[in-house]
Amino acid sequence: MVVLWVVASLVFFSTSLLPGDFAQRTVATNLELADYSEALKEARRLLGLDKPVWERYATFITNTAMLDLGTSYDSRRTTWVELGRHLPPTLELGALITLVAFSVSIPVGVLSAVKQNTWVDYVLRTFAILGVATPVFFLAILMTLVVLKFDLFRIDIVGSPHLWDDPAGALKLYSIPAISGGISGGAGIMRILRSQMLEVMRNDYIRTARAKGLNDRTVWVRHAMKNAMLPVLTVMGFTIAGIVSGQIILENMFNIDGVGRYLFTRLLIRDFPPFQGIVLVIAAVIVTTNLLVDIAYAWLDPRIRYT
Amino acid sequence: MASNDTVLPAPTRAIAMLPRRRSRMRQAVLLARRNKLGAAGVLGMVLILLIALLSPVLQRYGDNQVFQTANPEFRATATAIEIARNPRLSTPFIQDRFQAPDWEHWLGTDQFGRDIYARIIVGTRLAVIIGIGASLIAVLSGTVTGLISGYFGGRVDLIVQRVVDAVQAFPGLVLLLLLVSIMDQPNLPLTVAALGFLGWAASTRIVRSAVLALTASPFVEAARSYGATDLRVMVQHVLLNVLAPIVVIFSISIGLYILAEASLSFLGLGPADKTTWGKMVNSGRNSLDQNPWESVFAGGAITLAVLAFNLAGDALRDELDPRLRGR
Repeated sequence: MVVLWVVASLVFFSTSLLPGDFAQRTVATNLELADYSEALKEARRLLGLDKPVWERYATFITNTAMLDLGTSYDSRRTTWVELGRHLPPTLELGALITLVAFSVSIPVGVLSAVKQNTWVDYVLRTFAILGVATPVFFLAILMTLVVLKFDLFRIDIVGSPHLWDDPAGALKLYSIPAISGGISGGAGIMRILRSQMLEVMRNDYIRTARAKGLNDRTVWVRHAMKNAMLPVLTVMGFTIAGIVSGQIILENMFNIDGVGRYLFTRLLIRDFPPFQGIVLVIAAVIVTTNLLVDIAYAWLDPRIRYT
Repeated sequence: MASNDTVLPAPTRAIAMLPRRRSRMRQAVLLARRNKLGAAGVLGMVLILLIALLSPVLQRYGDNQVFQTANPEFRATATAIEIARNPRLSTPFIQDRFQAPDWEHWLGTDQFGRDIYARIIVGTRLAVIIGIGASLIAVLSGTVTGLISGYFGGRVDLIVQRVVDAVQAFPGLVLLLLLVSIMDQPNLPLTVAALGFLGWAASTRIVRSAVLALTASPFVEAARSYGATDLRVMVQHVLLNVLAPIVVIFSISIGLYILAEASLSFLGLGPADKTTWGKMVNSGRNSLDQNPWESVFAGGAITLAVLAFNLAGDALRDELDPRLRGR
């Protein structure tokens, strides 16, 4: 809770530091000078932007505490409604990115560890290191180039079809951002998983498992991988934060009307209530994830006891 | 005359029998052989630093220099009606847009007829300044707060840690976007400072945990007991012993900052008046189908630079402080 309060204050004060406000960015600039400043004043009064910072901060914090995240200056809809409108595409893309990230990184990480110091390991590790170093937008551009070059399919970035209504269209649109985002996120997971696998494989219980005659696959998957996944879980909060950052870029690139792009445009037009609200929601998700991870950790690994 | 062995006193003889200390050069070669990827990273990093230093010599053209050729269709005497029919009659020069790589433009030209090679070289310098600058700010500020927070504990520690928690609860890019928006046109110092602030949280946390482990150790207690001041203990006994993780965070995060700045520039909120790689990738995106050169070369430059700095940082970490692996 304290963390969320600090986040809220940080967001509030940094947004109030930004030059320009919504009134200034949107009031018609073709008015005569006198009319313009009048209109500006009027707009600010209507939006409550004429009040001093401390007063606005007090209202903001009390409203937020009551889960009222304010109303968009732009659409006059509440932040929750806006979030509801923009969440579906983001969740769809986010789910696909996560799916790709884990389905790539887990087998690759395990394989790379069990084949340590063979050419398989070297090739996979090189890809992982490259994946970490490549910006997600560059990956997306390279994939777009491949699609264009071989004329695989048309990338239609006008209008965003939903996964449920139009699966084929949505998958076409989402394929590139999902795969590039997934590779970006998965590369990091793979590196952690590999080094953890190597550590786990040195343990006595792995030798025991082998000694009782289990085959390699069972040892790797049942005994080693399960334990190596724990540290991967630990960084779940960071993984989510990374995926959100990636989605801001990818949604902007592919014109997907999700939360990431909405957040970015709110900042550009200085429509702060939904911006602050959504940032807080994201922060809450990350904080909760970290908390859940801590709890899950103790549950998954009985050696850990919090006192 | 007796041989040296009989003349030398016993301890000296023992030292003489030890294997000769390897020269630094020899040590470096051995290290490189042991860690080939790391050596490649260091080599790449040195190359990038050299390019950044020598960019005025290497870039051949100005990064904003527009190349154009005389328009053969230009007629100074064309009437307004003729120009309306054929607008090309009115322009004396045509920009050399979207040229494929050749001897004159090693990496081709962009949509305004600017030399992509020159822009990549200038971008190298920017990336190096941003990466090293941000990392320096992050590490210096993080060391100060981490040291204070870990050494004194108590209320100071609590406050600092809550702020660190809050910063880390943000998705990095959101915080960056917010910070660089403080100016209408973000400039270079602002970008570096914003990145540094983002890194401050992480380095504070690492320095703090290293300091916490040390403050309980006997030699710190000993120093305190003979009456050393807090400042003296902090600097001479604690700080000097946590230098390894500090150097590691510094070197390992340079690549991250280069990557983050590229994302900012790509979204149009990087240093406004500078030629950066992220900006180039973005501007090349509009003409991907016919002219992928700009995006591909600039994106490749980002990847290679980040790769080199990451590999070099990893190698340094493995040498200095392997416990930091995975952070």
